Amino acid sequence: MLTSAARADFAAEAIAANCTICHAREDGDVGMPALADQSAEKLRQSLLDFKYDRKTATLMNRIAKGYSDTELAVVADYLGKR
Amino acid sequence: MADWSRRRFLRTGAVATAGSLSACQTWTIGGAARARVVVVGGGFAGATAAKFIRCYDPTIDVTLIEPKSAYITCPASNWTLAGLLKPARLLVDYRDLVDRYQVRLIGDRVAAIDADRRKLVLADGDSLRYDRLVLAPGIDFDWQAIAGYDAEMAERFPHAWQAGPQTELLIRQIQALPDGGRVLICAPPDPYRCPPGPYERASLIAFWLKQHKPNAKVVILDPKPSFSKQKLFESGWRRYFGYGTPAASIEWLSIANNPVVRLEAAGRAVVTDFGDRFTGDVLNIIPPQRAGRIAAQAGLTDAGGWCPVDPWTSRSRFNEFIHVIGDAADYAPIPKSAFAANSEAKVCARAVVDLLNGCPPPEPHWLNTCYSLIAPDHGISVAMVYRLNAGRIAPVPGAGGVSADSPAAVALEAGYAVAAYRNLRKDSFE
Repeated sequence: MLTSAARADFAAEAIAANCTICHAREDGDVGMPALADQSAEKLRQSLLDFKYDRKTATLMNRIAKGYSDTELAVVADYLGKR
Repeated sequence: MADWSRRRFLRTGAVATAGSLSACQTWTIGGAARARVVVVGGGFAGATAAKFIRCYDPTIDVTLIEPKSAYITCPASNWTLAGLLKPARLLVDYRDLVDRYQVRLIGDRVAAIDADRRKLVLADGDSLRYDRLVLAPGIDFDWQAIAGYDAEMAERFPHAWQAGPQTELLIRQIQALPDGGRVLICAPPDPYRCPPGPYERASLIAFWLKQHKPNAKVVILDPKPSFSKQKLFESGWRRYFGYGTPAASIEWLSIANNPVVRLEAAGRAVVTDFGDRFTGDVLNIIPPQRAGRIAAQAGLTDAGGWCPVDPWTSRSRFNEFIHVIGDAADYAPIPKSAFAANSEAKVCARAVVDLLNGCPPPEPHWLNTCYSLIAPDHGISVAMVYRLNAGRIAPVPGAGGVSADSPAAVALEAGYAVAAYRNLRKDSFE
């Protein structure tokens, strides 16, 4: 059977695949923050802040509300490791 | 079980530590019996699927069949009507898919699919076997819906709903419009590619007319009673185009239950089911749509003309070795957008790789984001997170929705619209 860590990684990969449609991985010249520039901890905090409207945004508040806190945390860890 | 789990974990780990998916170009490809995946159609869905199958498992042979040497993106094509972007900038080629991801590219059309033998026949007569086929043929038009309007007539009255020469024809016609003239946009019925597209188009044509032909106007004839992001569009139209006043340069007319059924080319008029007649100096007729022809030919469409799929794996409901993604597939309630096509393609890529390796694909996650410009500095968006609920795709309650209608928000969203387009292209093709 899959380990819980591997399962979390697959879920994170499936969710994170959608983040990279708008956010570039590296060069930040597209006008949105590049994901590679941010640590897992900073990403986790930002995603939770968007979800609970502690941080303003045009779009991310609407998207972050679609995921559980745990999902946002594993996505942040996944993206932060890259 | 333990074996595939370990293999998949190692692959996922390899992608994660590589730092960038582009790093998969350096991976060694090995293995005696390599699985063969054929992808048909090089738009946002097909290109993304081809790229990500190679990234998720570089031992799989991926062939992309696409007759055009470059793709012209429909997203941003409306921007060319306002002179915000040159049509040439919509072009994206397949060099990176071939060079970086080692996707084999065949520049041909598919003549037939022999699903029983898992074989394709190309227009040049060659045939090709597949273990799994990913079909992403995009849209086709229902030329029976409007009497007198067919592919040939569309060369005079362009739909411009597949970006390319039709887009440039529409630009030329608008530029030649007399001041005081009228552009008539006939919007299509649901479902169709890019739900907010006709309204972004009307906005940007009106924006151009306002500067160059201030007495001209745009009229949208709509077979629907309402449309995507309607409140935000109408707010923008009031702000820039006098919407709702006698001097309005945009007018929206709902002709629900009374669709356009006939074109009178000589009088530059369309006639509805009840006999109402509307004329324009420029007629932009966007016909009803359905899945690309090859999907129907292969028996993969339902009575509505679209391809029903199992959303978990993107497999056709009619054939377990054929996956259908993008505009041709029925992913309702996910709209037919390029962003959604990319999202569907990644779920499909994961499923194709896992099924070929004999392991169950993970739970799918889809996202749609769609930006529109009402003016160069005025952007609006709609977004939604989707997941499976009792086997059906459902929006996640509490998530998504449309953007705020404030001066600060619309200015930011105009910038993000451009950024999102550029990165969507990059994520799909580079």
